[in-house]
Parts: sequence; C-alpha cells; structure tokens
Amino acid sequence: MNFIFTEENLIKIEALKLRYPSPQALCLPCLWMAQHQEGYISINAIDAISETLGIAPMEVYRVATFYTMFHLEPQEKLNVQVCKTLSCKLCGSDAILEHLKNKEVNIIHTECLGSCGTAPVMQINDTFYENLTPEKVDAILKELL
Amino acid sequence: MREMIDIIVDSKTYKAQNGSLLIDLLIREKIKVPYFCYHESLGADGNCRMCMVEIEGQKRPQIACDTLIKPNMQVRSNSENICKVRTDILELELINHPVDCPTCDQAGECSLQDFYMDYGLHNTKITIQEKVKHAKHVDLGSNVMLDQERCVLCARCTRFTDKITHTHELGIIGRGDEAKVSTMPGRKLDNPYAMNVVDLCPVGALTSKDFRFHQRVWFLQTSNSVCHGCAKGCNIYIDHNKMKYQDDVIYRFRPRRNDAVNGFFICDEGRLSYKDLQENRQESILLYEEETQENKALQELKNLIENYKEKITLIVDANLFTDEIEALVAFAKSISATLYSPLEIYKDENFKDDMLKSANRAANYKTIENLNINTTLPTKNALVINFNHPLDFEADVQINFTTHKRGKNRLTFPIAAFSENAGHLTNEDSIMQECQKAVFKNNPAPTIVEWLQKVRS
Repeated sequence: MNFIFTEENLIKIEALKLRYPSPQALCLPCLWMAQHQEGYISINAIDAISETLGIAPMEVYRVATFYTMFHLEPQEKLNVQVCKTLSCKLCGSDAILEHLKNKEVNIIHTECLGSCGTAPVMQINDTFYENLTPEKVDAILKELL
Repeated sequence: MREMIDIIVDSKTYKAQNGSLLIDLLIREKIKVPYFCYHESLGADGNCRMCMVEIEGQKRPQIACDTLIKPNMQVRSNSENICKVRTDILELELINHPVDCPTCDQAGECSLQDFYMDYGLHNTKITIQEKVKHAKHVDLGSNVMLDQERCVLCARCTRFTDKITHTHELGIIGRGDEAKVSTMPGRKLDNPYAMNVVDLCPVGALTSKDFRFHQRVWFLQTSNSVCHGCAKGCNIYIDHNKMKYQDDVIYRFRPRRNDAVNGFFICDEGRLSYKDLQENRQESILLYEEETQENKALQELKNLIENYKEKITLIVDANLFTDEIEALVAFAKSISATLYSPLEIYKDENFKDDMLKSANRAANYKTIENLNINTTLPTKNALVINFNHPLDFEADVQINFTTHKRGKNRLTFPIAAFSENAGHLTNEDSIMQECQKAVFKNNPAPTIVEWLQKVRS
C-alpha cells in the first residue's frame, strides 16, 4: 500500500522547507507528520519522505530507528508514557503504574515530562494527563479505549 | 600544490604538505598508528578514536585522521600515555565483541586482532554477565555476509555505499549498544561494486560468501596481477594456495591499489572472474577429438603449415599478453601468414559504467591496435590457427590453441591462462602493466611462446 502525505501535510512541508537549511533537517518533522497520519511509520512512508526531501531512504530510516518515540510497526495497544522521575515518584506515580499494570495498555517509563507542578503525570500520544489518581486514570482510559 | 613543511614525529623530521592530514603522513612513512574508520578512499570520519596521537601544546590526545598538518608541529605517536589511551579505547571496542576468532574468516587479516596484539594483551576490567546479542549471519545480498556482533561500527561500509557507489543501501540503525549495520527491511545490498565492502571491513563483520570457510588467509600466497575482465586493467592480488598432494588453486581476487588505474576497488564481476580460470579448462592435446601425444600433434601441425603455405590465417585473442602477441606477429611473418584479431566481439556497451567498467572487454586490445594488427573479420580461410580468440571461424581446417574447452576441430592445443604465465598488458589508457606468474600447476599447460618454440624446432 502506498503512502501519500495529506494535502495539509504537503503544504506544511513546503512551508517548512524555507525554514530549514538542508533537506536532512526536515527529516524529523516529516517523520512526525507520517506517524500522526498513520499511527506508525511504514517503510512506504519512509520512501515517500525520501522522495519528498530528495534524500536516500536509508538516511530517513536511520533517523527513524534512532529515536524511540517513532514507531516502525502498527501499535496494537495504547502507548501510555508514565513519568518515573522524582516529583512524580514522590506524588504517587508508583500507585498509578501499579494500577495501569492490569489494563490493556502498553506502559512506557519516561524521564521527566516537565510538568512537576501537576505531578503525577502521564502522556498519551500528544496529551498530558495531570494530577493523576487511580480513579482519574480509569476515567481517562474509559474514554480512550 | 601546497607548500612542503617540516614536522617532527617521534623526534624525527618528516616533509609533509601544509594542511594535509596527519594520518596520511603516518601511513605513508609506516609509523605505527592503529585505526578502524579512516580509509584513504573514504576520508576521515573520526568515529573509532583509535588513531590518537599527542601533539605538543595540546592538552588532550588528538585523532590523527582529523588533524591537519601545521608548521612546527611536534607529534608523539608511541609515548606511554598514548599507548594507554589506545589500550583503553580498544577495551571498549571489545566489551561486546564475541571473540570468536577461531571460527571467524577474517582471522589473520583482522585489524582488531592486530591492535589487540599491539596495544591490548590484557584481561578485560569490565565483567558483564551477558554480551549484547545481535544477528550472526545476515545475508546482505551481492555475496556479502554480515555478522553484527563482530562489527566495530567504523561505518566504512556505509560510507562506501554513500560516497563511492552513491547507492545508499547500508546504514547504521538504532543507537547505543543496539546500533548495527543494516540494509532497509526487505531490501538488499545491490550494486556492481558491493563486494568491496568485504575488503573495507577492518574486522570480520562483513565476509565474502564466495570465499568464507574455503581457506584460512595465512595459507594463501599472494601475487600481483591485472584483471582481464575488461580493458580498464584493474590491479589485483591473486590469492592462491597449493595444498599438499593437490593442485594450485586460486581462492580469490582482491583489488590492489593503483591510483592511476583503479584506485582502491574492483568490480564484483572482475573479482569473481577467477572462477573462469579454473573451470572447463582444456588440459590435453586433441587430434580429431582424440587425445594424442605432443610429438604427433606437433608433426601434424608442421605438416599442415607446410601444405597450406601462403594460405594461413592466424587469429589472436586481444586478452593475450603483449609479449605473446609480439611473438605471434614474428611467427606469422616467419610462416608468411596473415594476422587478424577481430575486436568487435569484445564490445559490450551494457557492461560499461562510469566508475571502472569499460565497454571493451579485452584486456590488451590497445596492443593489438598499436601493432597495427587487422581487427576485421577474416574472409576466405584455408587454414585457421586460432590463439584463444572467442570466435570460431569457417575454414577448411581449424587449429586451436585454447585455455578452455571448445568445439570440434582438427587440432587442439592447451595453453596457460594469464594466471599461469607472466607478461605485460596495455590498458585502454595506454598504461603498461605487469602480471606476475601466480599459479604453478602440477601439470602446467605450455604458454603460447613455449608452443611457438616447439613448432619452430
């Protein structure tokens, strides 16, 4: 199956081209767009990016494998990133993690998410969920799943 | 041309170009410096950190591959401190290395082994329970096998596909101790120069599917030669070995550096052409398809030459050595035969590319042209004596001097292939090159020059 950037993304890429000094630098924003569009980055998407930017597919693939936040395979479960750093730990992230263990989600331990004022925090896709309690987690997951 | 300046390395003075790379000087002057990632054809990358040297006035050790030579530079390449630095870097390289030298094909020509003998010889200080595991035998395609565990991530192979072939098949993916050389999922290493990465790889990570497990490298004997695949005349090493009670066998061709001709590389087709020298060879003298004695065959040949006087056509292969072609010119004169070497058959435009491959697939066609030998097809043949030319000609009688088995003829004489003979070639750029005699067969076929002497006597 071919990957085609949406009209909206193509306009974005054209606009970004003016801002970046080299096509290599555009690689990361393009990978993000591809991941948002399909939920993961397929090899077809990598080919499409390489064609759009005029660089080798391998160059794009190398970048995609380097960063853990890019998924190269379809994600079957919801990815829940739970902060494991000090403030969240003190405010009860352990209880959140324990609670999540019984859910049908993929738990990822991350370093500080930068929202210590509202600890404990977790991130699902691009959204922060703050001041968590086990009950609040239930409500969030019910809405998403 | 940049100005030449003096620099001091280990209290000796050397002349070097201002602004050139320090490592080039060290390599040229044969000053011991270990390195994985640097290669003269690929330039500096600076990722392996093995080529550390001390430079007077600089606090920390510097990598020689990325240091430019400046006036009044003082370099120390073998101080106690620098050896310690190299030992430490080597130790890091060896953390996850499988140390499977006994089963590794690179053993004997491995940089990691050599540097360990020079700078290592230690027991590791790092005691980890489990080494990081990677894939052991990945078939990358184009006869290249990858062992990801042995890799030191010098990126020579990836830089080769990026900078030399511009095909970009290889890359280092992942990061940290999960980093490894790989192709894209489901894609292969696929270019006509791919097997050069095997020579470039300083360790046993990339090995040749064609060569591995056939012979240990310390048994091989190396002779200088020139590839006969096309008129480019790429310089090669012939690696061969004569095992006890067996015949001399060629195991591989490797590129030999010659900046005027092929640089550092050869094409895969040329590299694998050694197989042709050992397959389907004509070994006996044939008279009407029957094996016969040398005396009888020579007598028959002499009679034929006598009978067909003035009506003899000699055909010369454009792959023969200059020495042989000149001998044939003289021979043709002595029996007043006409000499032809049809060159059209060697043309192959599909083979040509803009790196090394030439459309003229005859190693010595330039000599044929220089000696003004007729390059058209001969017409009206009575007696044809064909010296290894690939074409067959219509004639009353055809006699073949041939390296390889071919169709029915009145007389067939076996001759030595280029690896079994020494001589000279002139490539398409008019550069004359020498081939050494590499292979010494148990029952060697005579060379053309030897046959001609026998015919004359």
